[in-house]
Amino acid sequence: MLDFLQAVLDGVLFGAIYALIGIGFTLVFGVMHKINMAYAAASIGGAYCGLLVLQVMADAPVWLVFLCAFASGGLLGYLVYLTCFHFIPLSSPLATLMSTVGMLLLIDEIIVHSTDGRPQNHPAVFDEVMLRAGEFSMRGDLLFVFAVAVLCMIALLLLLYRTRLGLATRAVSQQPVAAQLCGIRVARVNALTFVVTGLLGGGAGALIGASVGTLSPLLTLPLTVKGLIVTVIGGLGSVPGAIVAGLLVGGFENAFQLFRGVTERDLYVMLLLFVFLVFRPGGLFAARGGRD
Amino acid sequence: MKRIALAVAAAFAATAYTGSGVLAQEKTIKITGFGAKTGIIRLFGINSEAAMLAAAEVINQQGGVKLADGSKANIAVEFLDDRCNAEEGISVIRRIYGTDALAAVGPTCSNVAEPLFGILQKKVDDKGDSGLQMPVFTDVAIKGGLAKISEWAFRNVPSEWTMYSSLYYWLKTTKPEWKTVYGGVEEDFAHSRASWYAVMKDRAAANGYAVLGESKWLLNDSNFATQVREMKKANADILSIAAHPFTTCGLLKEMKRQNYKPKVLVGLTSTSSLEVMQGCPKDVEGMIIPTSFAPINKEAKFAAEQTAKKKGSADLHSMAAWENMFILKQVMESERISGDKSQLQVDRRKIRDGLAKLKTTKGLLGVTKRTEDREADKPYLFVHAKGGNWVVLHNPL
Repeated sequence: MLDFLQAVLDGVLFGAIYALIGIGFTLVFGVMHKINMAYAAASIGGAYCGLLVLQVMADAPVWLVFLCAFASGGLLGYLVYLTCFHFIPLSSPLATLMSTVGMLLLIDEIIVHSTDGRPQNHPAVFDEVMLRAGEFSMRGDLLFVFAVAVLCMIALLLLLYRTRLGLATRAVSQQPVAAQLCGIRVARVNALTFVVTGLLGGGAGALIGASVGTLSPLLTLPLTVKGLIVTVIGGLGSVPGAIVAGLLVGGFENAFQLFRGVTERDLYVMLLLFVFLVFRPGGLFAARGGRD
Repeated sequence: MKRIALAVAAAFAATAYTGSGVLAQEKTIKITGFGAKTGIIRLFGINSEAAMLAAAEVINQQGGVKLADGSKANIAVEFLDDRCNAEEGISVIRRIYGTDALAAVGPTCSNVAEPLFGILQKKVDDKGDSGLQMPVFTDVAIKGGLAKISEWAFRNVPSEWTMYSSLYYWLKTTKPEWKTVYGGVEEDFAHSRASWYAVMKDRAAANGYAVLGESKWLLNDSNFATQVREMKKANADILSIAAHPFTTCGLLKEMKRQNYKPKVLVGLTSTSSLEVMQGCPKDVEGMIIPTSFAPINKEAKFAAEQTAKKKGSADLHSMAAWENMFILKQVMESERISGDKSQLQVDRRKIRDGLAKLKTTKGLLGVTKRTEDREADKPYLFVHAKGGNWVVLHNPL
């Protein structure tokens, strides 16, 4: 029983990483009703850019690496918007889906070619911290990631509900044509959404690098899959849903691994997704149906 | 002005004549390498290509290859990407077969080598077998016993069976108080699985260790908390990890977080490369790995330097590609190939027969014995991670 609880606890904490990626997916979907498949890859790309700081300054402080990853993530987010959304007809859902899949593979290959596929050591934060309560232990760095995810959620909710940009974003999300008639520049709002999620993604990528300890192109595809699962389970467009679903998926993943082994683990995670799609297609925090 | 123009024209004509004359006399023997140059194991392909190019350059500088008619030919190297994918690998070898390449060197991955050897002719002179008649001399794919699939397949890869047998024996002799072994295996990667289940686990038991079990993870995994807890609970003296650099580093970092330190770490042969040193230089400290290459003598150092000039790094895999080039040169000369494009298939057969005849070859660490089933029994040594480098720990031979 103790093993089970510890495994679930480990998983829930690691789920904070999935939550961070899920937030990015869900935010873009909430605003544009599109899936950005390149989000996790761009996040990891941002983290790789952060490591460039260490090439220039070997003893650079960790916060500088994070800052560079954060900024690079924003830039990559804007580039993804330009290449995969801005010039592509948004009326065709498949076009943007495929263009972002292409971007995912492109970013992946750029990383592989620039690093020759070698894993890169990433500076850690709170790596040495291990909180213990009796037989249980919790990783300090993952608690930090969880705290960052919650802070991101609060910041995003403040941005969406307390700023003019947020108002414009919600307007575009609900009725793009009406928003345009009110004088809101839809393309600008969409671009800013990508920059904001990109900034978040760059930070998330660096946090992932810090908690895994190593960056590798191998991270992009599993994070994309997990990010999508989290987005669907949490409820498309729901930021709190992404966080809860991230932790849930992480916990279930470890529990399945403990009982059924690593080779069957992902099978059950997928089954969990199907269960949600069949019985609760709107996810945990499904948005209420509006007038539209 | 007219004189100058005439002189320039004469010089140009002379240069063109000399150039074409040289080209007319010069024969080229093409050896095509293939392996992974995309994806996460791209580095293997890059290193093999660099080693092959460097070896060809050295051979050409030394006068090239002597042909049957006494003339000399240069070696040209081409390298194709199979993306570590079986279908791509088969397509690549068919493409190589259609060119004037005399022999192929590759592939990187065992999951490519196995089906690829399957499309070669199984037995020479079998008229009923329409498989490709192309000598393939593998440098990297290390899973045991693959060359027996076809008589056109040859390998110059070390025997993990022998190396781990020797390593566990050495550990048993030097530290008799250590009694137990626990494994960690990347369950979805052919080489890792084969190395743990068929080699490391078996050899540890054969040397008197109690194998307490194994923890499993996947190639893409990044969370190893549960696995490290299992390892900690088993509390074995020796932890043997059969995984590639990314997950090896992830696991080692988690071991550090959970403050788990086995008495000794044993790693997978492929891990004794720069990748781990770049990914987790501090965490890998002390890991012991058997390998068939280390720059311990003049020849090995020279090979490593030449490969570095071609932007590759020397390790047990790339240096096998270097050795393959020199072995092929030796066979070309001993079998007296013609080098004529019209005689290509005859020359390919001579290369196959020549490789099959070899009882020993000269390797960078010493003499390599060739086995009946076209595999190599290479010299090896044990290295360990020390101060961010792989340093020779023990030479058992």
